[in-house]
Amino acid sequence: MLERIRSGKLIEGPEYATERYLEGLKRTLIVSADTELISAPAYFRAAQDAPNINAYISATGIIQDELGHAHIAYRLLRDLGVDTDALVFERDPKDFKHPYAFDVPLETWTELVVANAFYDRAGFVLLGDVYRHTSYAPWKRALVKVDREENFHLRHGERWMEILAQDPDKKSELQRAVDWMFVLTLEWFGLPDSLKRHTDQIAYGLKGLTNDQLRQEWMKTAVPLCERLGLRVPAHYEPDLGQYVIDVPFPAEFDAERKQWLFEKGPITWDQVLARWKARGPANEELVKAIQRGYEQIRKSLEA
Amino acid sequence: MKEKLWEALKEVLDPEYPVSVVDLGLVRGVDYEDSRARVFLTFTSLGCPCTEIIKEDIRSRLLKVEGVETVEIEEVFEPWSAEDISPRGRMILLQLGVT
Repeated sequence: MLERIRSGKLIEGPEYATERYLEGLKRTLIVSADTELISAPAYFRAAQDAPNINAYISATGIIQDELGHAHIAYRLLRDLGVDTDALVFERDPKDFKHPYAFDVPLETWTELVVANAFYDRAGFVLLGDVYRHTSYAPWKRALVKVDREENFHLRHGERWMEILAQDPDKKSELQRAVDWMFVLTLEWFGLPDSLKRHTDQIAYGLKGLTNDQLRQEWMKTAVPLCERLGLRVPAHYEPDLGQYVIDVPFPAEFDAERKQWLFEKGPITWDQVLARWKARGPANEELVKAIQRGYEQIRKSLEA
Repeated sequence: MKEKLWEALKEVLDPEYPVSVVDLGLVRGVDYEDSRARVFLTFTSLGCPCTEIIKEDIRSRLLKVEGVETVEIEEVFEPWSAEDISPRGRMILLQLGVT
């Protein structure tokens, strides 16, 4: 099968794949599905702070897209024999596989649009890579729609960052959001290549680029955007190296309640980051419960 | 001049799909007088989340047309339906798997 994948042939369905391939595929799809799903309540909470009705409609349009993307990934999982009802509605909030960033609550319109510009960009970078390189044909076809829509989310974020950057008060609010969200998005791409497990993801054609390469891809567009708007970011382009360099201790300790990085304490280990991710952040339970509430109520009323 | 405006609008793409606002059937008319371009625009739905981005893209493209100094966009709520998509637009969408 690896020979097949290397020659660029696509896997049309589970019957053509090995157990090991399917395990890797499921793991990747669950992360993608959970991320799209949890972004909906996370964004919805902040959308309440929309400055006008058109802005609110755009935000709810984005939320609707995210639910659609989640649906696609869960549907693919169901076709692989996964019990997706159990996965979505019965799983413990801590067992969800979305990035830690979504566990830190988005509370204002400013934070929402920075999330569109940063988090949706991360999603676009990751899923764009999957679209170009995945060997799983059903996912590749579905991602055409997903990538187009993520592009709109990104533009929405950029456009609103531009609007807010013109007002000095809003600009300082924007800077505060960038300060905590930028590094959290860098973490989104996972362990550095030197420590990365799941290396067969690339051999199996589930993704094309490594974590560090994807992080660079993200910075390639996110850093110039912020620089153009006069916002400070803790990264810069190093021409000699031909890549972006992070200017703060990374990874570092994060105070999720105060939404602040404790860079002065110096770098921490990735094991410490993994422990924080595993413990999940302040909004984790609230967001997952927002998704699970209706299902729980219907089940109870059926049992009664 | 109207011809030029239509040509320019064919370069303004929907924010999600690479189909122009003309091929999507959103542009219901254009007008030009004294360096002022007017566009009569409808949307695929009343709650279209992309209205602001579409209007902004139209404005910035038309301002690049020689002889245009101001752009006015008038929203006309003539109901849109999938029938309004041009054969070309249909072809592009079909290639992307949208039927």
